[in-house]
Amino acid sequence: MTFVLSFLLRRLSQGLVIVLLVGFVIFSLLRIVPGDPVRIIVGPMATEKQVEEIANELGLNDPLPIQFGRYLSEITEGDFGNSFIKAKGGNAASGGKENAGVERAAVLDLIKNAIPLSAILAGLGTAFALMFSIPLGIAAGLRPNGLISKLTFALSSIFVSLPNIWLAILLILIVSTQLGWLPAIGYKGLSYAILPAIVLAVELSAVIVRALASSVTTTMQENFVQAGVVRGLTLQHMISRHVIRNASIPILNLFGAQLGGLLLGSLFIVEYIFNYPGLGLLTVNAVFQRDFPVIQGVAILTTAALVIINIMVDLISAGIDRRLQY
Amino acid sequence: MTKNQTIDDAIDKPILTVNKLNVVARSSDKDTAILTDISFNLSKGEILSVIGESGSGLTVLSKSLMNWLPSPLVASKGSVLYRGDNVLNLSTNELRKFRGKIFAYIGSDSTTALNPTVPIGRHLVSKLRAVMPEYSETQAQKRIIDLFDAVRIPSPIERFNEFPFQFSGGMMQRVMIVDALCTDPELLVADNITQPLDVTIAKQIVRLLYDLRDEFGTSVVFSTASLPMAADISERLLVLQNGRVLEEATPKQIVDNPGTNYTKALSERVPRIWSAKHTPMKSLTQKTILSVKNVSKTYFTTDPKAYFSKQAVKAVRGVSFDVLEGENFGIVGESGCGKSTLSRLLSWVEKPDDGEILFENKSINTMNSSELKNLRNQFQLILQDPYTSLPGHKTVGEIIIEPLKIHRSCPPQAYSDRLFEVMTEVGLPKGTEVSLPSQLSASMRQRVNIARAMVTKPNLLILDETMSSLDQVEQARLLDLFDELQRRHNFTYIFISHDLALVRRACSRVLVMYLGRVVEMAANEDLFFNPVHPYSQALLSAMPTLEKNRFDASKVLLEGEPPSPVNIPLGCSFRSRCPNALEICATESPPNSPIRSGQVECHLIAQDKNF
Repeated sequence: MTFVLSFLLRRLSQGLVIVLLVGFVIFSLLRIVPGDPVRIIVGPMATEKQVEEIANELGLNDPLPIQFGRYLSEITEGDFGNSFIKAKGGNAASGGKENAGVERAAVLDLIKNAIPLSAILAGLGTAFALMFSIPLGIAAGLRPNGLISKLTFALSSIFVSLPNIWLAILLILIVSTQLGWLPAIGYKGLSYAILPAIVLAVELSAVIVRALASSVTTTMQENFVQAGVVRGLTLQHMISRHVIRNASIPILNLFGAQLGGLLLGSLFIVEYIFNYPGLGLLTVNAVFQRDFPVIQGVAILTTAALVIINIMVDLISAGIDRRLQY
Repeated sequence: MTKNQTIDDAIDKPILTVNKLNVVARSSDKDTAILTDISFNLSKGEILSVIGESGSGLTVLSKSLMNWLPSPLVASKGSVLYRGDNVLNLSTNELRKFRGKIFAYIGSDSTTALNPTVPIGRHLVSKLRAVMPEYSETQAQKRIIDLFDAVRIPSPIERFNEFPFQFSGGMMQRVMIVDALCTDPELLVADNITQPLDVTIAKQIVRLLYDLRDEFGTSVVFSTASLPMAADISERLLVLQNGRVLEEATPKQIVDNPGTNYTKALSERVPRIWSAKHTPMKSLTQKTILSVKNVSKTYFTTDPKAYFSKQAVKAVRGVSFDVLEGENFGIVGESGCGKSTLSRLLSWVEKPDDGEILFENKSINTMNSSELKNLRNQFQLILQDPYTSLPGHKTVGEIIIEPLKIHRSCPPQAYSDRLFEVMTEVGLPKGTEVSLPSQLSASMRQRVNIARAMVTKPNLLILDETMSSLDQVEQARLLDLFDELQRRHNFTYIFISHDLALVRRACSRVLVMYLGRVVEMAANEDLFFNPVHPYSQALLSAMPTLEKNRFDASKVLLEGEPPSPVNIPLGCSFRSRCPNALEICATESPPNSPIRSGQVECHLIAQDKNF
């Protein structure tokens, strides 16, 4: 137990530093890139005076460190600021009309609404990917020269080279438009998540299946597997109790180190294509609209999520293989 | 059961009969013979040793008894009969009823025999229950824990739940013995099981196996490369060379009256400790070349049981000694005694936390980096592993002259002269300078290592287990080479080794280390004939020899293993294993008493006025 506590304390404190650094970098970069958010809010017709007023009101004229400090202190109170663009009702509050004074939506609320939808999509995508990769990866790993192995590797090569945009459009065209089996655009229920999840799964499983197969193959070559059979255990016992257990550690690490990023990255694209109202769509739109508070909020939260995923992965790995605790 | 009766039983009804067994390595176009016409019998409760050098087919023979021949090995002819059934013809399903239940196997590499991510107890319980399903989970646990106790694994209940990597090599071998014997097999194949172990631990394991045989009546096939070990444990010996049985005899016959020249050579090659004369080089000048004053080194590692704190591994604790010019100085001790750390400190690869090292009366502690570089010219370290200590992408020539370039010892035009000079001296044939290390044998690589160390003409060579990867013939050749180089260049050697026979042969003065301390330091003859410290006596009693050991293992051999360098006992660190510990040993560190040619740290000696 001491290990878990000291591990968590150490890693969470390191993680906090990472999140703060990433937050600061994003915060500064957003203020360097071209495109004045105030101009976007007030529209092209507004006078310089109006621009100045809004900028002052939003605190955009203060020095950068002060802005960042203010931002951080607000975050500790659970306030990620308000969107520059979106109104509370959900409609855009911009456009240069007289509605610059409309109460704008809190970033935290926007993110809160989007997270469950993205979580459903990511979870479903990962589940599809694992359903496909675990049986195939293990089967391929047990017989590295067998037919299944060759087919699996060929398939994963195809999967990894399919552009997700193309695959998404193809699926929408065939499964949704022509066959009418599944809905494709927006979100009104779980069935709307299936097509985008498949696109995610194709990308993920290409990586997982290969890593799992090679990890199983390597573990099978370890002395203890054959030694176990000679000690009087069956090969099936050695595979189900020992090989799969040990082979899972590299896969877990893969999840922490790469898949988290991959998953988030493709989530953004896939959500945009399917107009799926999750975190990805929120962010992509925010980028187009220079909606700084939303971008910052999403960046900090996703960094935190990645940090936590990695900590969990390492903790679970150390639970499976105690040597990692030393 | 007496030895004679056992042999009579063997003639009556052997439980195992190996009949003209042939094993080949099969490739598409031809078969390469590995074992040829092996035949022998084994009766109930008998220990048969199979001895041979590496490459003689020992492991293949052991594995074929289990019908465990990895591809491309195939048993092409002959049979392994267990009470009439040919083990080699059994199907996978039939084999399952054999392996574990009737035949058990223990290999030399016990540390990889179990999955490191699963607790020890689980492995053994699942094996016991797979082989004997009549055992319930709790019964199986109880049986394993009882057996742990029987093979003297300390605190068996806690160790049951620990993981394989938390076990030392010796403890792991005890676990594997329990694993093999928990199902009461009739035959135990012990394949070189003492090979990776320290002498005192190896001796413990052999004695344990011997006792268990008496208790369980298990027949044992004990394969080993060590003739003394085989002679110690078994009733009959089988000598294997190039996959053929050369001779089958009792240990006495083999030692006193060998039937073949090979067997004779084998027995002559076993080092004689007490019956042979050894005259290692002594210092002529008595001038101190290296002086080590009270050095200590502590490493810090993460402690999984504490918050944010590190645990201190006290590897070297206040070691002092002087090395004299032109002598061979030996440092011996078992795994974990701190000798490798000490070698890193001596060669200043790492700095001591405390204490001082003087080379030719100059303190290394206070030298700046350019002085240190000059100094390295004069002393060199030769490492243990000839495979990883040479860069694989450079040719032998480039490797050997690299120190010349670093130290600018001579003008570049002279490099090749110096290279060939050194190569001739160490016995590397002309032409090898363009080879890559991977094209050379282990002993040739070790010669490259020596040449690289010698090329700058150093005064002091530190040999850290330099010989341990070589066989005895090669060791003898290299020792002769060292002698010759010493006569020619007046080198001083420090031999750091776990091998007492080597030290006996090569060193004029010897220092014995235990848990980071010097427990005894003495001249060669004094140490080997009249050791004073109980640990030195135990080390000598555990030595595998063919002559009668001057020290009776049953009186002085140690039980258990050294404590961890993290938790060093208070007072005398050897107290926990000392057969004669006094009350004072628990509280006070033993004083350093000068005796005869050296010194010893022991309360027994300090209180005995005779010394």
